[in-house]
Amino acid sequence: MASLIEVNDLTKEYKMGKITVPALNGVDIEINEGEFVAIMGPSGSGKSTLMHILGCLDTATQGEYILNREKVSHIKKKKLASIRNQRIGFVFQTFNLLPHLNVQKNVELPLMYAGYSKKKRTKLAKKVIAEVGLTDRCKHKPSELSGGQRQRVAIARAIVNNPSIILADEPTGNLDTNSGGDILTIFSELNLKGHTVIIVTHDAAVAKRANRVIHIVDGLIENGDIS
Amino acid sequence: MAISLKESIYFGFSDFWSRKVRSLVTIIGIILGTMSIIVVLSLVNGINKQTLQWMMERGGLSKITVRRNWRYDNPNNARTYFTWKEIKFIRSLVPEAKYMNPQKNYWLRHSYEDKEYNCSINGVLPDFTKIEEWDTENGRFISEFDVNQSNDVIVIGTMVKEELFGNKNPLGQFITVHGRRLQVIGIMKHRYMKGNNIGNENALSYLNRRTFIPLSTMIHKGTGDDNISTLALKAHDAESAPELRKKLEAIILNLRHGEPVFMIESAQEEAEEMAQSQKTFQIIFFIISIISLLVGGIVIANIMLASIQERTREIGIRLTVGARRRDIFIQFLVQTVLITFIGGILGTLVGLSILEMVSGYLEIKLIAELSMVLIALTVSVGIGLLAGIIPAIMASKLNPVEALRYE
Ligand SMILES: Nc1ncnc2c1ncn2[C@@H]1O[C@H](COP(=O)(O)OP(=O)(O)OP(=O)(O)O)[C@@H](O)[C@H]1O
Ligand SMILES: [Mg+2]
Repeated sequence: MASLIEVNDLTKEYKMGKITVPALNGVDIEINEGEFVAIMGPSGSGKSTLMHILGCLDTATQGEYILNREKVSHIKKKKLASIRNQRIGFVFQTFNLLPHLNVQKNVELPLMYAGYSKKKRTKLAKKVIAEVGLTDRCKHKPSELSGGQRQRVAIARAIVNNPSIILADEPTGNLDTNSGGDILTIFSELNLKGHTVIIVTHDAAVAKRANRVIHIVDGLIENGDIS
Repeated sequence: MAISLKESIYFGFSDFWSRKVRSLVTIIGIILGTMSIIVVLSLVNGINKQTLQWMMERGGLSKITVRRNWRYDNPNNARTYFTWKEIKFIRSLVPEAKYMNPQKNYWLRHSYEDKEYNCSINGVLPDFTKIEEWDTENGRFISEFDVNQSNDVIVIGTMVKEELFGNKNPLGQFITVHGRRLQVIGIMKHRYMKGNNIGNENALSYLNRRTFIPLSTMIHKGTGDDNISTLALKAHDAESAPELRKKLEAIILNLRHGEPVFMIESAQEEAEEMAQSQKTFQIIFFIISIISLLVGGIVIANIMLASIQERTREIGIRLTVGARRRDIFIQFLVQTVLITFIGGILGTLVGLSILEMVSGYLEIKLIAELSMVLIALTVSVGIGLLAGIIPAIMASKLNPVEALRYE
């Protein structure tokens, strides 16, 4: 069976004027459908960089990224937008919600770009908002919510289009232990429902919930496929 | 499956509403910009026009006037008026003058039945109407025949008619002046020009308070003397007026043996002088106009650009959840067009009503010409659109992570 995600010899360099900062130095990863993968590593090791490339939010300097048997570097920009919209849900450490839109509208955003009718949008958004337990906060603006609630809105937005892959970059980094725990439970449940979940974390307890941990140090995978 | 054009236009609209404060601030910026440009441009234009209109109302640019030079203290007591003989002599020396009208005037009581009115009575020749470009509304003006016969006829201004006759028809009636009965043969056209002083509604109202009789009647049957203190001439055109003025000056100076007891002025030269002296103002006005364009533009650009970071982050978020560049472009285009056009139209309306108010107060006609409204709208809407859309296009070209990280 072919893997959902396959990354070969991936490198990423950031150009800052004359200086080139290497962030990924030849990464190989394979992730199968339905896995719950935790990515761990020290600060600055390249975790976020890798996640952004996997989420089609950034492009690699060199190397191969195969998503669902398609080479991402060969995909046109328009199609990439559609992949971000349909196949990938991304959850950031800093939530990245639109401050002037209420919870309902924020969650509807991916559905808008998918071209759903207003009725369908409302229905689907209500459903995932209920799943993350925020039905009574539908009309609130993000600024009126706690950190944990905001992250749940972000998760609702990430899953509303029913993507196969959910990427989360330190989703509990800005939360206290309690609400962080709740968030992780949601990710576990999503994985049980069949979503492939890849999560970046510093927390060993979080890593325990994953069925595989990938360690990354200085832009290199340390113990790749060993569980 | 992707978002339709109609939908993305709709999202642009709803997004406009969901950030009322920012939309409002931007609209106000554009209103201020547009308004100030229109007001300043029209003010400058209105003041320039007012001056020229005054010259035109007073007989045009080819008019030349000769009158007592009060600045010369006349130590040798040279004669400060012309005799009828001198007038005829002067006329024979300037055949190129199209018209000439020597004039004498007194402030006298005019009475009709039980009504009385004190005003200026002017002894004139028929050329008066040509020089002043002002004729009768009813009846006729003084003719060559009236002058030859020294007829007892009088032409009156509209205010005189009002005061002495009210609604009655004055034609054929007799007015008594200085013991003489003069028959009314004509009523002058009403003169009007909006004044530029507060409280002075009609800058030309003094003309409506005049009466006119043949110069010969005034000389032979009135005062008995032929002292003529003012003289008006008309050159063929404005261009030849300065030359005619110089020639007249030489002739008249010669008549008085070099004593400058008369002042000879040409409207054309006066206008040129005025234009010269106004040049400083013109430059100042021009600078003010340019500054108002700049200030208007900068206010708009500033408000638009102030939100670039916020908007670029927003674009990053939208790209992350699957927006295409086209979707982003349409959303910001709709928003910016809405904001700039609402602002532009309101700014024009506010500007025009401010002009209306200022016009009423200064009593200067300040009408914004179409060209000024267009300049103002082009500058404000143009800058607004550029400042609104270009950063959005640039941001949508970034990849999502770059846009999210934008500072
Ligand atoms: N936009 C950028 N420009 C230049 N260098 C960058 C940029 N983003 C990341 N880097 C560099 O790339 C390296 C990897 O960064 P990355 O953000 O992927 O680390 P990380 O593992 O996510 O760290 P953390 O745990 O602190 O989030 C770091 O050395 C960082 O300084
Ligand atoms: Mg990181």
